[in-house]
Amino acid sequence: MANSHIRLSRRAMLCGSATAGAALLITGASTRRLMAQNAPEKPREIIVRAWGGSWVEALKAGVSDPFTEATGIAVRHDLTEDNEIQPKLWAAVAQGRIPPIHVNWDTTTNATKSALRGVTEDLSDVSNLANTTDLAKPVGLEGYPIINTYGYVYVLAYRPEAFPDGPPTSWTALLDPKFKGRIALYNDGIGFHFPAQVAGGGSLEDIPDNMQAAWDFIAKVKEQDPLLGEDPDFTNWFQNGEIDIACTISTNAREARKNGLEIAWVVPEEGCKFDTDGLWIPKGLPENELYWAKEYVNFALTQQAQQVWLDGLGLPGVVPGLTPPEDLVDDPSYPTKPEDFAHLIRISAQVQVQNESEWFSKFKEIMQG
Amino acid sequence: MPETNPDFRYPLRWRIMDMAEAIADFLWPRRLSKYTGWLFIMPALMLVGILVLGLIQIADASLRTLDTATYLPSDNWSLDNFQKALGSSVYFKVAWRSLLGAALTTAITLCFAFPYAYAMVRTQSPKVRKALLIALFLPFFIGQVVRAYGWLILLGNGGMVNDVLGLVGIGPVRLLFNYPAVIFGLVQYMLPFAVLMLAPALTAIPTETEIAAGSLGANWLQTLWHVILPMAKPGLVGAGLVVGTLSLTDFAVPAMLGGGSQDFVANAIYDQFFRTADQGLGAALALLLVAVGSLIVGLVFMVFGAGTLSMGARK
Amino acid sequence: MISQSQRITIWTLVWIALLTLSLPTIVVLGASFTSGNIIAFPPDGLSLKWYAKLAMARDLQQAFLRSLVVSLICTAVALPVGTLAGLALSRFRLRYEGAIQVYLLLPFTVPLIGSGIGLMLVFGEWRVLGSLWPVGVACAVINLPFIVWSVSSSAVLLDPDLELAAQSCGAGRVQTFLHVTLPAVMPGVITGSLLMFILAMNEFLVSLLLTDARTVTLPVQIYNSIRSIITPDLAAVSVVFILIALLAIWLLDKLVGLEVFLKSK
Repeated sequence: MANSHIRLSRRAMLCGSATAGAALLITGASTRRLMAQNAPEKPREIIVRAWGGSWVEALKAGVSDPFTEATGIAVRHDLTEDNEIQPKLWAAVAQGRIPPIHVNWDTTTNATKSALRGVTEDLSDVSNLANTTDLAKPVGLEGYPIINTYGYVYVLAYRPEAFPDGPPTSWTALLDPKFKGRIALYNDGIGFHFPAQVAGGGSLEDIPDNMQAAWDFIAKVKEQDPLLGEDPDFTNWFQNGEIDIACTISTNAREARKNGLEIAWVVPEEGCKFDTDGLWIPKGLPENELYWAKEYVNFALTQQAQQVWLDGLGLPGVVPGLTPPEDLVDDPSYPTKPEDFAHLIRISAQVQVQNESEWFSKFKEIMQG
Repeated sequence: MPETNPDFRYPLRWRIMDMAEAIADFLWPRRLSKYTGWLFIMPALMLVGILVLGLIQIADASLRTLDTATYLPSDNWSLDNFQKALGSSVYFKVAWRSLLGAALTTAITLCFAFPYAYAMVRTQSPKVRKALLIALFLPFFIGQVVRAYGWLILLGNGGMVNDVLGLVGIGPVRLLFNYPAVIFGLVQYMLPFAVLMLAPALTAIPTETEIAAGSLGANWLQTLWHVILPMAKPGLVGAGLVVGTLSLTDFAVPAMLGGGSQDFVANAIYDQFFRTADQGLGAALALLLVAVGSLIVGLVFMVFGAGTLSMGARK
Repeated sequence: MISQSQRITIWTLVWIALLTLSLPTIVVLGASFTSGNIIAFPPDGLSLKWYAKLAMARDLQQAFLRSLVVSLICTAVALPVGTLAGLALSRFRLRYEGAIQVYLLLPFTVPLIGSGIGLMLVFGEWRVLGSLWPVGVACAVINLPFIVWSVSSSAVLLDPDLELAAQSCGAGRVQTFLHVTLPAVMPGVITGSLLMFILAMNEFLVSLLLTDARTVTLPVQIYNSIRSIITPDLAAVSVVFILIALLAIWLLDKLVGLEVFLKSK
């Protein structure tokens, strides 16, 4: 690794400035360190990729604005979809160009692909990592090519109006004939494969080797003419009364509820997929910009940044001691205690990444057929 | 003053023009005249050449398979991606859906574009003509995605159309997220293009021709069939090619109005490039689509003559 | 001379076309005045708050200015290139004309995602990404057939004898071109350039791959925003767009007359 010695010297420098700042409540230390005299030259701005709408608003309030306040570095948000920025970043690294963004807010699965491809900077030396839970560490990867910043659940969201007899308890509710044409899934089936495996009578241990149960269940769901879409579609569809029930991230359902819609969600008995999002830095940045990009990531791991950012998203973070937003106390989509996790399905990013394209095409095959 | 005036000078314009002629003669001597056509077309060939350079990159990518352990393309070339693309029944289905969609869209669009262009060209009232022109141009300005969104609102389960249907006791009917919705979206997107391509062709048909046909006893359908359509054929072919190729490769309309289960080839390509990060397979699909599209275009030119777009007027 | 049945048939079809062309525009127009937080039609109460928000949104304004630059570059590139190519195809005998036509149609037969990825790699190789002109050039490439064809189809209206007459009266080649050929194809040139301009103003898929956060254009910005949630300010953007368009059309009508789209000379 050509740049390993650079990393070492960087770490040495970080240590130096950390001792200068003398230690050590993490939050206090980080702010002080941002002011350190011997830090590399500050860029005028850094660019952070983010999802638009309430997602970027939350990031801005919790991380970007306070970061600018503490450092004087402006933060510009690039709202390109994570999927769509990926080829841009890969091409930039392959062609030896400076990448178009400094920090990528990404799904752990997508980030893992980039990490495997070797386009990510190692973030092991980010000092606030010391104060994070296990969730921050990407599973199955060496070091910290990504730092997970929170978890989220693919819940079963529904319109209470359509369930007069009480909330659904099982994913099999999707198969109820009265919901034909009124159910929705992600268009690559993401979030649905694993609960489908359980609902179809299979076992999670068989993933990825034998997922016939999942495919059988998905084939039955196909008979129900589901709508297939992406995050914004779910909010729209609920809003326009197109659907009654969907497998989607709780954040989307909560967003729709904030807009005044009657929406509720559950974690059915078969369980829900639990996954993480994280931050990573692409290779090829100038030294000083890399330094400040890492400082941004570091800042995102402080308790006060996490509290504000994740309140906006309604998702559980990776630093201990966060208070859940009022509307999500004891909500199944906001797991905090070990027993909350018992009903959540977590598959390592590595297994997902290696099999994802096969799962996606299998799902497409059923849905487009 | 009959004698030459020593102060007389040719007007500035003449002198500039003479200079331009001289420069032209110097840079492009008359003996090269028979190559002037090539001189004229060269910049366009070069501009599209940039796209061809891009296609070469895509072709290179299409020959490399993805290793999901490292997410890097393979170093050596193989035809695996093409085999995968051609051997898959899903892609076959998607390809068929796109081809049929393009054909339907072309046919329906021309059916509406033709009378529109005809009315616009033939109307006696300048006001009507302007209104028709403006109605044609305005939708361009709100863009494809926002326009499709407008349809989502109008045709949705709680939309106005269903409200109207509800008044007569029908519905609500699922008007969106099916194949007809996609075709409808494509037709209304392509309509302005088709009218703009057709209008000049119809302008070129003298009104007198129609009157003559009428006075010889042809009713308007006969005139349409035997006189106008044959004369407008070049415009129809041109408009058809534009509509056909653009809808064959369209991405946004099937994505937004198809509800996720009405993918066209471009959506499958999108998935490979952006969702599963299998650029090799995406590249192979893109190349196959280009090949099929170009083949169809080539066939159309063969059937109707390559000079179609120059309207066969130059004998 | 126009029979009743003909009139009815034509105008029925025209009205259907008019409806499908205009309905979404009307919906977007109406939705922009909503006082609610989501796009809806009929709007949820009336207010101008989304326009007020627009007036404050500097990023959208900057993106709009960038789009203007991109469209100007696109038109500046496509206008000469497309006009010459259109004339070459219609007024000169070229060998392999069929092959050339298929080649020049590549921008339409290559799916936009393919064009975007390909151009991103080419421009990246040339180290020119990050500025606006490659986006303008890319828009010129992917829409080139429009201007080529609109020019070549208006060239038909020109009798070749006119050019010969000019030349036999002593006009040079440049003079003939400027005074006879070019005016004859002017409707095609104007229609084509206008189309190029408008399409560049709305292109999002290829531009998405060629811009970054510092050079993002308006359609890309709108596309990205719609990916999260579509708010009424985007409808308001479209309405402002339409107003500018109407102004442009009005100006064009005053300056050269809209008839220019349909008639030569």
